[in-house]
Amino acid sequence: MSANYWESTQRRHWLFTKDELASMRQKLEDENAELVRMFPLPQPRHMAIYFNQQLLRLGKRLTIRQQAMATAQVYLKRFYTRVEIRRTNPYLVITTAIYLACKMEEAPQHIRLIVTEARQLWQDFIGLDTSKIGECEFYLISEMSSQLIVHQPYRSLLALRGELSLVDEDVQLAKSIINDHYMTDLPFLCSPHIVALVAILLALVLRPNSTVPGQSASGSAAAAGLAAAQAALSQAHTARSGQGGILSEIPSTPEVKERVQEARITRVQHFAAWLAESDVDIAAMVDATQEIISFYECYEQYNDKLTREQINRFVKARNLDK
Amino acid sequence: MPLRLRPGYPHSSSSHHLFASSSSSSSSAHRLYTDGRDQSAGYQPKARVTERYRIIGFISSGTYGRVYKAVSRASNGEGIAAPIEVAIKKFKPDKEGEQVSYTGISQSAIREMSLCSELRHSNVIRLVEIILEDKCIFMVFEYAEHDLLQIIHHHTQQPRHPIPPATVKSIMFQLLNGCQYLHTNWVLHRDLKPANIMVTSGGEVKIGDLGLARRFDKPLHSLFSGDKVVVTIWYRAPELILGSYHYTPAIDMWAVGCIFAELLSLRPIFKGEEAKMDSKKTVPFQRNQMHKIAEIMGMPTKERWPLLPAMPEYIQLNTLSAMQHSTHSHHHHSHHQNPPSRGYATTSSLEKWYYSTINNNSGAGSAASGPNGQPALQSLGAEGYKLLAGLLEYDPEKRLTAAQALQSVFFSSGDRVSANCFEGVKVEYPHRRVSQDDNDIRTSSLPGTKRSGLPDDTLLRPAKRMKE
Repeated sequence: MSANYWESTQRRHWLFTKDELASMRQKLEDENAELVRMFPLPQPRHMAIYFNQQLLRLGKRLTIRQQAMATAQVYLKRFYTRVEIRRTNPYLVITTAIYLACKMEEAPQHIRLIVTEARQLWQDFIGLDTSKIGECEFYLISEMSSQLIVHQPYRSLLALRGELSLVDEDVQLAKSIINDHYMTDLPFLCSPHIVALVAILLALVLRPNSTVPGQSASGSAAAAGLAAAQAALSQAHTARSGQGGILSEIPSTPEVKERVQEARITRVQHFAAWLAESDVDIAAMVDATQEIISFYECYEQYNDKLTREQINRFVKARNLDK
Repeated sequence: MPLRLRPGYPHSSSSHHLFASSSSSSSSAHRLYTDGRDQSAGYQPKARVTERYRIIGFISSGTYGRVYKAVSRASNGEGIAAPIEVAIKKFKPDKEGEQVSYTGISQSAIREMSLCSELRHSNVIRLVEIILEDKCIFMVFEYAEHDLLQIIHHHTQQPRHPIPPATVKSIMFQLLNGCQYLHTNWVLHRDLKPANIMVTSGGEVKIGDLGLARRFDKPLHSLFSGDKVVVTIWYRAPELILGSYHYTPAIDMWAVGCIFAELLSLRPIFKGEEAKMDSKKTVPFQRNQMHKIAEIMGMPTKERWPLLPAMPEYIQLNTLSAMQHSTHSHHHHSHHQNPPSRGYATTSSLEKWYYSTINNNSGAGSAASGPNGQPALQSLGAEGYKLLAGLLEYDPEKRLTAAQALQSVFFSSGDRVSANCFEGVKVEYPHRRVSQDDNDIRTSSLPGTKRSGLPDDTLLRPAKRMKE
């Protein structure tokens, strides 16, 4: 339902296991084997990074709010589980996803304005004809089976803020982790509140001065963060099952020295205690944490130029921009 | 262009081929498909309306487009599903006549499509599927043979005879149940009226037409900023008439109260005349509607409704009093700082209205009588009044919520509430009229009617809206 995630189409139709997701994608590749062979593309996560960046560029020009941007990200991901990328003009799909998401999130943008701005960014790929967006909108909605309401983790984050005594910095950091999770498969793999909790956890255990995790978390920091996060989760798990139950021994990253950081440690403990009391699926949180951390590691190998070239190549070669 | 389609190239083994040949029109998608360029660039519908449904005829038209009755065709492939009856709503394209190009789907259509896809409740009309084809949107709903407007109308036919009390009770219970579901899921219907309340031949009540429905869980913009005016005027809550910026489920509950009254008396309880929007496109104060409400409910007062003076149009209540004594209409800009009540009672005469209605429904003797020769509706008794008064409460904060109304003694006392509102009813209601004149769903021209006072998606096409 609209505000009820548990009854939602998101939960009923767009939540998959890793295996299901993999086989859906494999099926798409198999159906398009020739195309896949002719137009090699970077690994999916790097594609996701590129798409995310392009989406953000257009969103910035139009000053689109986070909620609508998040919805657009999910539309893009859903669409590409059903349609082979090499059969589309990704720039058109990105533009359309934003256009549709803005309407859905009650902040409509004029189609003409969106096209104009998109054309500024991707002159070679977006024409002036607004009907292309209109047509692509049909395509998007159809592939998504008209299931357009998306539940986002941001709301869970804000709802938990008080309960977990989070400070502004934690919330900001958790928000940027949520922003980053759209580049992973997590929106398909777990419910929004799990994502929110993982983002909070990582915000608490990651180095506090790593402002934009995607860009600044070095591999070693990420690894340390992962270790700390996993320790906190296993602590919570142990506490819940009645063994141990002392939460004093929360691990800290090696950099922890100052008082601010001690306060943060207290919040981690508080979080672990809260988690132990809750009936949140900790196993799902562990998986999600690993997913995000490994994504940050993978981010370091991202090559923007190569990704762009490979995408632009098939769009041009196949006349998909026409 | 070395990579153009070439013979033997694995172009789409998918469903595109299945339906392409059945299309009689030359959509641009179709052109793309055949002109040698890659077909995937154009949108190909996954299903075609006329392939999946046999159109029986035309049901109605409105601002949104047209509704057709149809039955599903035997599903191709595995087994034959029993044909089901459906109502197909075809959205009006933005431009009249031949739809030449895609223009972007209206925000209200997006809302209705997305909400209906999520909703699942026995008292809310069920969406079967949505088909996007040839630049048109077709929403396929389960079919309902009746609606409350038609049922009420049937009872006004001579001899005028009241709707049986058990039917009224069942309808109200189911209607409230559907409302509760919508409201607990943060959906406001915003256009509840008898014509939008469907009833199946099995007596199940289904809230329909979510064309104006909105989510009210933290909208990015205030709900007010989108559509300035909602709800058909006779069912419009007083706070909306007085210009409230806050939309709450209470506006639906007022409408439910109006519907309850109409089920009893067979005519709209507050049948005001709509003030049209003037040329400057300012939303007019619905003076006559407020007058009709005040006639029965008395003039709203601060005592009954503490936030009343905070209403943007509060001062207009003055002019309402002035209207009563219309010889002084020129003075309505002068300095009456106290809006209350000259010419209106400050207390409600709803109770009087209720008892005179249930004691003397329709004035037609025999048909209105129960087994003991009493008017049939008398059995609804004092609890019926309490429910009605709780729904037609001026102060939206005091007005019954759907959940509270369902707890009303009205439903727990007396006869058991049936899930079939026709249980024990002898009359056979006429079936929905289905016209054969126009049953070509693909080509028929669309009416130019417009739901007045409902500028939607003002952001999308401000200039055009001005003209309409």
